[in-house]
Amino acid sequence: MKERALTIVSIIAALALFVGAPQIVNAYWLGVALQLLSGIALTQSWVAFSGLTGYVSLGHAVFYGAGAYVMALLWQSAALWEILVASGFTAAALALLIGYPALRVRGPYFVILTLGLSELCKYVVIAIEAALESSGRLLFDTPDPVFLYYIMLLLAVLATLLTWGLARSRWGAGLRAIREDETAASTVGVPVTFLKIMAFVLSAFIPGVVGAVWVLRTTFFEPMQLFSPTTSFTIVTMAVIGGSDGAPGPIFGAAFIVILSELLWARAPQFYLVLLGILLISFVLFIPRGIYGQLTALAQRRRA
Amino acid sequence: MSNLLEATDINAGYGEMQILKHVNFVIREGAITAVIGSNGAGKTTLMRALSGLIALQSGAIHFDGQMIGKLPAYERLDIGLALVPEGRLVFPDFTVHETLRVGAFARRAHAGWKARRDQMYALFPRLLQRRSSRAGSLSGGEQQMLALARGLMSMPKLLLLDEPSLGLAPMMADEVFSQLRAIRDQGITICIVEQNVQAALGLADYGYVFEDGQVRMEGPAADLLGLGSIRESYLGL
Repeated sequence: MKERALTIVSIIAALALFVGAPQIVNAYWLGVALQLLSGIALTQSWVAFSGLTGYVSLGHAVFYGAGAYVMALLWQSAALWEILVASGFTAAALALLIGYPALRVRGPYFVILTLGLSELCKYVVIAIEAALESSGRLLFDTPDPVFLYYIMLLLAVLATLLTWGLARSRWGAGLRAIREDETAASTVGVPVTFLKIMAFVLSAFIPGVVGAVWVLRTTFFEPMQLFSPTTSFTIVTMAVIGGSDGAPGPIFGAAFIVILSELLWARAPQFYLVLLGILLISFVLFIPRGIYGQLTALAQRRRA
Repeated sequence: MSNLLEATDINAGYGEMQILKHVNFVIREGAITAVIGSNGAGKTTLMRALSGLIALQSGAIHFDGQMIGKLPAYERLDIGLALVPEGRLVFPDFTVHETLRVGAFARRAHAGWKARRDQMYALFPRLLQRRSSRAGSLSGGEQQMLALARGLMSMPKLLLLDEPSLGLAPMMADEVFSQLRAIRDQGITICIVEQNVQAALGLADYGYVFEDGQVRMEGPAADLLGLGSIRESYLGL
């Protein structure tokens, strides 16, 4: 009971801090906070599918890029919220299209397939843009950064609620059963194919909207950058480091990576990626449950 | 006794490969039906086809008055047909407790799952002792009990069991067989596939002998057990 009260108090405190941040911090730190919120939103949405089912997707960059592309194409020709919703639905529709064939394969095949499809989508967009004789699209009159920050905060909260709710639900139990053993999951009555596709589509919506917000912030759409597989790799890293079995993990993972990159990018940029690689390997080998998983395991051990 | 399940002229297999050839198969309500046969005779394929893990190539299956031949596995479970698969297939990282909970995933099994879990703990006291252990850390016998209990959590009318004694020490296998009797006495119909022919026919009311994907022989279990050809082929007597 005491622990629960503590959790609720810290959630409220963190939310208040994020809501108040634009009044307190300067533009630079607001940018860092935006990074953090987008990291949380993206990683939560990844965990909602890949964390729970064990189907490691390297395709999140596609959904992110597709959302950004929709925004770049429609900006100033429709209302902001309409484009944001369209971005989310475009990403979700793409997930439905990709998911149906891709979710038939498991393990390393699924990983490679999602990476391949992601690269394919990138080059399709590049080809379209080349055919339209466009070399990058500039977005004019984009909203105020503080406004975009609040949209991102909303997305981070929504994504956290999505993962939290899904992980606790009957469907979440079904998704975890799929991760453990797909055949056995069928024998206990889990509608395996339906659940996988449903979770994949749900998990694609958020990155679509995040990509759309992000391109408004950078005000420039360039497919190589917005469809870059680095987005997917960063998300997986955050999930592995934070823990991928529920909503708390991604918050720890995103915070860890954003703080680390703030500390190191400026001072030792060459060292940053090396350290990230070492950390990723160490977590996979020694702390596969991630920071949050390890913390709960330690707490349980102390209680027992 | 009426027939709970009737498979008529079913063909099934994997991709192009046909394993089951024109199988007619009946499970009577309240009875224990045994399926025996050597390796590769199609016993596991039969279980998979009946439970919906693989699609039929042709033929029909009636269960409890419904045509189920085209239903996916989860819908068959929803009307009371559960499979305990070969090799147990426990969820390694789930605790015993979590496994029983997810065993009640089917819609019809959702209400009252806690009371049913307590019944399972009464039926399998070893599971109660290990309720917080990871399923992957249990012994083979405990995993088999867990797989049985998980199947029962779905409130089946018919429980299909694929090789429940596989890899178990003889004493443990005896324990599982005596639990099957207790389950049958609660009114659950059982169909069991077994390598252990003596034990299976000793337990069952009716038996089928499979060979090369076809029904080679069928009859009351006691009659089959007395047949010279069965004793020679499967019991080495």
